[in-house]
Amino acid sequence: MSLTEAEAVFASVHETALNDLITAFCTDRPRYLVYGSPSFVPVTTVAETAMPGIPFPGIPGGINWRIRLGVPRIDLFKQTDPLPPELVLGPGQFSGRLDAELCIDCRKIRIDPKPPRPNSPTYGDNPNNPDKPRDTHPIAELTCFKLQVFLIGHLEHVMASNGEDAIALAVDQVEIVDIKPTDLESFLECLLFMILQAVLAEIRLPLRALRAGAFQLVPTVGPLIEDDQIKMRGTL
Amino acid sequence: MAEIIAALDEAGANTLLDTAISLIPLQSDSGSGSLGPFVASYAVSASLTNGDVDLIPPDIIRIDDLRVDWDINFSFGIDLSTILPDFCLPQVCINIPCVGRVCTPKICIDWPTISIPVHFADFIKADADFRLDISLVGGVWKVQAVIVGIPNLQFGATTAALLAAIGLAVTPILLAIPFIGPFLALAVNAILLAIGIAGLAGFLGPILTPFVSGIKIPIYDQPQLFPVLPAQSAVDPQVDIVIDAIAASVAHNGAEDELVLTADISA
Repeated sequence: MSLTEAEAVFASVHETALNDLITAFCTDRPRYLVYGSPSFVPVTTVAETAMPGIPFPGIPGGINWRIRLGVPRIDLFKQTDPLPPELVLGPGQFSGRLDAELCIDCRKIRIDPKPPRPNSPTYGDNPNNPDKPRDTHPIAELTCFKLQVFLIGHLEHVMASNGEDAIALAVDQVEIVDIKPTDLESFLECLLFMILQAVLAEIRLPLRALRAGAFQLVPTVGPLIEDDQIKMRGTL
Repeated sequence: MAEIIAALDEAGANTLLDTAISLIPLQSDSGSGSLGPFVASYAVSASLTNGDVDLIPPDIIRIDDLRVDWDINFSFGIDLSTILPDFCLPQVCINIPCVGRVCTPKICIDWPTISIPVHFADFIKADADFRLDISLVGGVWKVQAVIVGIPNLQFGATTAALLAAIGLAVTPILLAIPFIGPFLALAVNAILLAIGIAGLAGFLGPILTPFVSGIKIPIYDQPQLFPVLPAQSAVDPQVDIVIDAIAASVAHNGAEDELVLTADISA
């Protein structure tokens, strides 16, 4: 079987090169992997993306948070990297694995100095109240946890930010291993599912880069995942 | 296994080379050369047009009927005395009564040296083999198809047409010379005979061969530090990868011969 088959041009990129491209993107533009609210990321830079805090009544500035993702490692069908049993890599799919660290800025809240109503839930927090419970939190404390996240997805043919034909990694399913209770695992999986869909959709790799600039290729077949590669066929 | 593979079938290679050859700029040269017994100074330009591509494993691209369109202006000088017989008005004497014998002087025509400018344009076709050449120079990866050897340029009917063009160019110049009338046909034939087919081939061959023998057709030309995405803002700088290795070959895959480029990259 020829590489071009019925078309004039063929191009393929192996998963090792795809991971190099993703690493290059994430190294040159690390802000696509780090997001945080103002106490963590006051302003967007090359390294980090500033986001608003999570608004909540009574918490000035909202709840400050940060998520820091590792560079995803992609495995194109056929499966090379191990996956948790909940995930099955099918034809045309890729799997991914990455680390994720989520943090919140756990702060003691200064309460309104106006006299509290006796039935107010914050009554006991009045510093002038002799019955004030013992303070168990410092003024501010960075609370984080790390996870390893597995995912399954497929390719989407998209336009890169400069208008070129490109691919993006679309996430179909996310799995976090061994978190109890199960509902907490499901909650975190859903949270990371949404976050990773958005993050990976922004890592758009031009088809020109996938073939290292060799030849022109207007795709008529693909991009599709086969044999640990992304393959495309088309015309000049 | 190569990390990145790109391949063209023969039709694709034909299209690629159509474009690549058409982008080779018009080439020109000037100088002087032997045109039969004469020395001609010339200015010549030539452009190339792709022919039919045949991919031959493991690394040959054959182009049949590679066309060279050429345009030449040349001029050469001829001392007509070397090709025309001396022409003299003989001395004439007459006897004049009371005066005696009077003679006119013998008058000989000194045939001039003339310069003949000729313009001619035509094309030739050649079959040529090209071998793939890969280089990394100054941080740029290049793959070029470099011609193998020097193809034999067959001028064929071109030489006869050029002889006719020389005949046409020389006639009005000769007509301007006094007393040439009876010798016109003789002079033209003598000039064309002196040059001859062999003279023209010997003149054109060394002039046009360099346009073909030096051909390098660009196939791939990319910086080693390859830009994946351009810079888009202060917080979104350019994204680059490094192309660590490039290879090129002609491979026989299935029923097809394909031009294959491979690349290895790193972040």
